[in-house]
Amino acid sequence: MWTLARKLLLHDRLRFAVAIAGVSVSVMLVLVQVGLYFGFMDTASAVIDASSADLWVTRRGNDSFEFASPVDERALYKVESVRGVARADRVLINFAQMKLPSGGDLGVQMVGVETRPGEAPLLAPWNIVGGDAARLAEPGAIACDRSDYGKLGIDHVGTQTEVAGVRAEVVAMTSGIRSFTTSPIVFADLRTARSFMPQLGTEAVTYVLVRVAPGEDIDAVKARIEALPNMAAFTNHEMSQRTRTYWSSRTGVGAGFFTTAVLGIIVGFVVVGQILYSGTLQYLREYGTLKAMGAKNSAVVRVILSQAMISAVLGFVLGSGLAVAMKSAMAAANLSVALFPQLYVATAIITALMCAFASLLSIVKVLRLDPASVFKG
Amino acid sequence: MHALAVSEIAPAAVAPTRERASLARLVGVGKTYGSGEHAVAALANATLDIRAGEVTLIEGPSGSGKTTLISILGLLLRPTAGQIFLEGRDVAGLGERDLPALRAKHFGFVFQGFNLFPALTALENVAIAIRMKGGRRPGRAGLSASGGGPRAQRTDDSPDGEARRLLELVGLGPRAHHLPADLSGGQKQRVAIARALGGDPPILIGDEPTAALDTKTALSVMELLRELASVAGRAVVVVTHDPRLERFADRVVRVEDGLIQGDNP
Repeated sequence: MWTLARKLLLHDRLRFAVAIAGVSVSVMLVLVQVGLYFGFMDTASAVIDASSADLWVTRRGNDSFEFASPVDERALYKVESVRGVARADRVLINFAQMKLPSGGDLGVQMVGVETRPGEAPLLAPWNIVGGDAARLAEPGAIACDRSDYGKLGIDHVGTQTEVAGVRAEVVAMTSGIRSFTTSPIVFADLRTARSFMPQLGTEAVTYVLVRVAPGEDIDAVKARIEALPNMAAFTNHEMSQRTRTYWSSRTGVGAGFFTTAVLGIIVGFVVVGQILYSGTLQYLREYGTLKAMGAKNSAVVRVILSQAMISAVLGFVLGSGLAVAMKSAMAAANLSVALFPQLYVATAIITALMCAFASLLSIVKVLRLDPASVFKG
Repeated sequence: MHALAVSEIAPAAVAPTRERASLARLVGVGKTYGSGEHAVAALANATLDIRAGEVTLIEGPSGSGKTTLISILGLLLRPTAGQIFLEGRDVAGLGERDLPALRAKHFGFVFQGFNLFPALTALENVAIAIRMKGGRRPGRAGLSASGGGPRAQRTDDSPDGEARRLLELVGLGPRAHHLPADLSGGQKQRVAIARALGGDPPILIGDEPTAALDTKTALSVMELLRELASVAGRAVVVVTHDPRLERFADRVVRVEDGLIQGDNP
């Protein structure tokens, strides 16, 4: 059956090429769109995912990670006093204006973290590719991502700049830390970050990161913290998912990407369906002849399904290659396309189902084909 | 590419038990479309015995019921009246589930338009039909023409092997790997005949198999069918408008207005 299916497909090479192109574009759209979505979501939760904290504590009602309202430092003391908390670090996240060499300003997402000598912080810049992250403890020290260098007008570690009129120096360069918003992420020590955002006061804290004591149950500690007035606590995973859900649902970005992916599937479905159907019509008398001579419907259906699966496999391979090429091209534009094995497997299954369903019309046509029709002219 | 290939390949292949034995029998068969005032009788009260080793021509004007007759005989169309006996069993009432296997076992079909897959070589066209029929049935030779002979002992029993033998039988061995587009009309029809012989059916039904061929080629194809009946002991039933083919026939059945008007040996 495979031989017949392959030969029937290849007999009209132009039509076959159109079918494969249709499936390939469909596969590429699904992979790139869903990959972009997950890439954006990875970006959205990157700071949280990089943390080694067990719990994130914040003011109740804070839905957005980036736009969370700060609380004062008493939150830290309250959290530290909860049984089972081994360590608590303050984090301040808010937006500040960075001076550009051109004279203008650019809003940056400032992440103020605790820098304690001799202790690994629960949150710190990662993927350091230049400079020295340990120098963040110095007043005015900041760490920027190299992907934002052009945007920020920075050309090397050691560049002097200003944030909210306060002098700052780039002491470390990171790689691959992108912001979901258009504002670059800039790390600084908590005190430095507060100096960059004086409007928040000198005791502002957005999150308290918690390390649970060894042997303590994280959920139990979380429940104790949530019993504090006006406090909400989330595990690292919960915080990550919450942020992803926020951006996915509030911005419609999820619906946008998945709608495009579904459109890709529809395009593939229509193209493959039309190609298979026209091919089936072309060989209807031959199929009828086989049925007349005793071929079972299942045998003829297998030929059509085999054609669909050949189209699916070749289209998937080609489409995956296109998606990988697109990923490289988009990386140059600072866009992250997350292509991972589960996505490939899911897309392969979707492609197979798409092609199988696209062949249904052809299958119905063959099933209804009256073998006696071959005698009718 | 000569019909003589049949006798050249397997001169001892005649199956004596098949000769003149009844292979299929229609008794009082009729086909009526619609009902009541709108009923149209395409065929009425047709009784016909199809015997091994015989070439039966079915003649008649267009719309007379010839196609209906061979469609019912080939189990492609269910009659509204009468009985169809195959191996002594009435199969007229069998459902669509059972018919493909019966058709595969008992009938091979040859059409005016050849109906060959253009993407497949001659060999592949024959082999795919054999595969779809479920391959060669155990206990029967791939061809009566080759069954039992020493040559058959050495040959390949796979669908490809059987297809190769069948193409040799119809004189197209050297053209086995040609596409239909590279074959003449007569050669295409020989491929179609080889395909019809796949699975070793005892009855070949041809629907104007020579209508698309020039006179010389048509006679050559008819000669091959004649040999398949005489030498290999098959029953060959051919619908035709061409009276020149009568010299190859053992019987001529004339159908007019849905009735068998004559059955002349």
